[in-house]
Amino acid sequence: MSLNKIEAAQGWRIRSTQDFAGGLFMIALAGLALFLARDLPLGSLRQIGPGMLPKSIAVICAALGALLSLNAMRYKGEKLSGWSWRGVLFVLGAAIVFGLTIRGFEIGPLKVPQLGMLVSGPLVVFIAGLAADDVRIKELAIFAVAMTTACALLFKYALSLPIPLAPWLLGI
Amino acid sequence: MKKLLLGLTAALAMTASAQAQSKYPERPITMIVPFAAGGPTDIIARIVGENMSKTLGQQIVVENVAGAGGTTGITRALTAAPDGYTIAMGHLGTFSAAPATYPGLKYDPINGMQTIGLAGGTPILIVAKKNFEPKDLKEFVAYVKANSDKVNEAHAGLGSVSWTTCTLLKGQLGVPKLNSVAYRGTGPALNDLVSGQIDFMCDQIVSVSEQVKAGTIKAYAIASAQRSPALPDVPTTKEAGLPEYQIEAWNGIAAPKGMPKEAVDKLVDALDKALNDETVKKRLLDLGTVLPTKEERTPAGFAALIKRDADKLSPVLAAAPKQ
Amino acid sequence: MSEMFAHLGLGFGVALTLQNVALCFVGCLVGTLVGVLPGVGPIATIAMLLPITFGLDPVGALIMLAGIYYGAQYGGSTTAILVNIPGEATAVVTTLDGHQMAKQGRAGVALGTAALGSFVAGCFATLVIAALGAPLTKLALLFGPAEYFSLMVMGLCFAVVLARGSILKAFCMIMLGLLLSTVGTDLETGQERMTFGFPPLSDGIDFAVLAMGVFGFAEVLRNLENPEARDVVRAKIGRLLPGWEDIKQSIAPCLRGTLIGGTLGILPGNGAVLGPFASYTLEKKIAKDPSRFGKGAIEGVAGPESANNAGAQTAFIPLLTLGIPPNAVMALMVGAMTIHGIIPGPQVMTKNPELFWGMIASMWIGNLMLLVINLPLVGLWVKLLQVPYRLMFPAILIFCSIGIYSVNNQPVDVAFTALFGLFGYLLIKLGFEPAPMLLGFVLGKLMEEKLRQALIISRGSFMTFIERPISAGLLLVAVAILVIALLPAMSKKRDEVFTE
Repeated sequence: MSLNKIEAAQGWRIRSTQDFAGGLFMIALAGLALFLARDLPLGSLRQIGPGMLPKSIAVICAALGALLSLNAMRYKGEKLSGWSWRGVLFVLGAAIVFGLTIRGFEIGPLKVPQLGMLVSGPLVVFIAGLAADDVRIKELAIFAVAMTTACALLFKYALSLPIPLAPWLLGI
Repeated sequence: MKKLLLGLTAALAMTASAQAQSKYPERPITMIVPFAAGGPTDIIARIVGENMSKTLGQQIVVENVAGAGGTTGITRALTAAPDGYTIAMGHLGTFSAAPATYPGLKYDPINGMQTIGLAGGTPILIVAKKNFEPKDLKEFVAYVKANSDKVNEAHAGLGSVSWTTCTLLKGQLGVPKLNSVAYRGTGPALNDLVSGQIDFMCDQIVSVSEQVKAGTIKAYAIASAQRSPALPDVPTTKEAGLPEYQIEAWNGIAAPKGMPKEAVDKLVDALDKALNDETVKKRLLDLGTVLPTKEERTPAGFAALIKRDADKLSPVLAAAPKQ
Repeated sequence: MSEMFAHLGLGFGVALTLQNVALCFVGCLVGTLVGVLPGVGPIATIAMLLPITFGLDPVGALIMLAGIYYGAQYGGSTTAILVNIPGEATAVVTTLDGHQMAKQGRAGVALGTAALGSFVAGCFATLVIAALGAPLTKLALLFGPAEYFSLMVMGLCFAVVLARGSILKAFCMIMLGLLLSTVGTDLETGQERMTFGFPPLSDGIDFAVLAMGVFGFAEVLRNLENPEARDVVRAKIGRLLPGWEDIKQSIAPCLRGTLIGGTLGILPGNGAVLGPFASYTLEKKIAKDPSRFGKGAIEGVAGPESANNAGAQTAFIPLLTLGIPPNAVMALMVGAMTIHGIIPGPQVMTKNPELFWGMIASMWIGNLMLLVINLPLVGLWVKLLQVPYRLMFPAILIFCSIGIYSVNNQPVDVAFTALFGLFGYLLIKLGFEPAPMLLGFVLGKLMEEKLRQALIISRGSFMTFIERPISAGLLLVAVAILVIALLPAMSKKRDEVFTE
């Protein structure tokens, strides 16, 4: 343990921003879980209530997070690296657009009819494709249409999944 | 673009070819099954739906929308446009028990939906591990009342058929606080019943009949008016001395309120034709299903059944210990 | 013994008719294709194809459905290896070393090893089911809630060993997985737990949604960041099939995996899910150089893939002999059997011997089919990796979106997956490995359920886990695994400090 003392003697400072942030992240999630589960009864050992496991697991999560953060101040480790907003925006945005348009939605005054796969399909491919650094718009557009046609034939006709194609146009 | 056009024309051609018939139905009908594929309700929906498609001249597409004891799917079906193109196959739980089980329910099965008809009923059995002390139903009732702290009962989760029917039984026996062990699905519950970890449960005949025949578990009674041809030796609750315990797990078709009469009539007719078809009948009987009477196949008859069971279950379910 | 061969003879007589062989082939082919598509699992496919089997005789119908089932299991591994997306819980482990092998230009070898390993496992499992199907049933009945709980605890201890980096971080992920598994309506009381009052969460988080998010979408985001890394995958193709050296390295893990997976598969509480994890743990522990694991060790593909396939097959034992479905796919098979007028139960073997033995024989034929279908396809799959990444990931995205939508026909699931994609990306940035989280998530639900059942039955006494011999034994193994895993880690940590 003498080694730790030497380390400790150099003072407590953040030696791994990645681990330190990871620890804080665990504590934050545990806090959120504890907050959400605050009204759930713990129950007794004989009849465990709905709150027993979520709460105890959350406490363990928080403890592990704290340990991780403390370790990050004692041992050297990885640093946090950059974050690519472009990927997050287009890739995840594309999936959300698909979810919103496939059966239509209503959020407050905004109302989108059920567009179906013939619209949602090209949208998801095209929007996602914009995330690549080497994107070629024309190629992507053709690819979007081709993929959608292939998916429609595969999922709707070959596997007969009940997925709407274009209810506003074809009624299916 | 060319490929999209090709796809569109192909799809249009397919719909056009099926459009030769009269006005309703002009396109495929979606039948929402509020449970996972392969379950009892799903199987009945697929058997009946396949035959109804033939009568209607349009495909009935089964769409499984599972969640929250079936209420997610039924909510989606009943809030759809009442044009006859969205219907749902629900059961005892979603139509009669749900209002008392789920306080925030977003549909009203009594006043807020258009019933079509009953597709079939499934008898409920009271079964126990093979070496459970009581020999018959009378002894069982006495034993459970006397040993309510010792007996373990199993069910497949809040809102399931086994939970609903067993809660009714416990309510009628006056032991609502019996030790009740929750499982995810009747399969694992049945496994622990066979291995003797738990003492008894209530379940649909189709899940337990083979085990009863093989003697790995025993059946005290069947909660229907008649004995079942699948298990002719098992007495009815009436014969065995608990006449008030009468309950069946049924499945039936309903649709959003305000549907055109033409559509209702066509669906009722198609359901009736399906239930008269020999292949459908055989499949349903193989499943242990009791075929619905002429009366129950009508919208009014089915609505009356929903109301009757809701009245029977509501007080017990509302009082059940849910914490 | 002679009786077993007589039975198998009867079975092959049934399964080898032209019609049934054709059905088996179609089933395996469709299953493979569906399994390869990320998101569309065997459950959705079997459900969709159920009505098509109405016209067939029961044996043929079940042979075809069973073919879809193991075809999809195998296809899922292909996706895990090629694009690092586990379609099913059992394919999570395959992503660890399988995808690393693909990155090193050994995708063909990984796929070939998986196919051969599955085939060997399938052959053994078929024999085991034929010889011991009936007596093994008793094993299933020995496992009550207490035993399952201890088994799950043991499983979670395996997860620690899965970790590629810090053990502390692996612990964090397991606990996070457990925490996520408690989201949703409480089974016993019906109370909503941590759902934000949002109805689509009331049934908890779907495995497909979580896996597609933290593996599929997050992986796409990670790859978009370093264009060089993904181009390396494309540049190298390497040999297509495993060479002699690879096979020699895989044989022992494959046999051990078969044994582990086959045993766990018999347990009706979905024990099969633990098979690949257990096999991976074992291989990593007994390897001369454990540090190769997670960096493309072929044993890490051969063992778990064999365990996976053996478990998939022995999962039929509780169904065929007890009539109790161990998992969702088997529950669907019960549905298929009942539709055809066969109610699964202890009497199927005596009342419908041609069905029982026909199905068992068809399992072996199905495994052969998978090999025949998949070995030629290896080249095609590997070629797929050469598609430029700027087109590959939008294709992955549309398949994932449609696949996730069709699991429950719920559009909001797709949005949730995107959310978990963000979550997974965050985890990558923070240096966490998602695999232990997924295992924690899969086992968490079952673990809580079994813990509560065991404690209700024992009237609140924790002693039940120690008093019952099987349960105590499993807990002992769990402790042993932890000790073995933690001791070197502790000493290593001190070494690291020393070198600083």
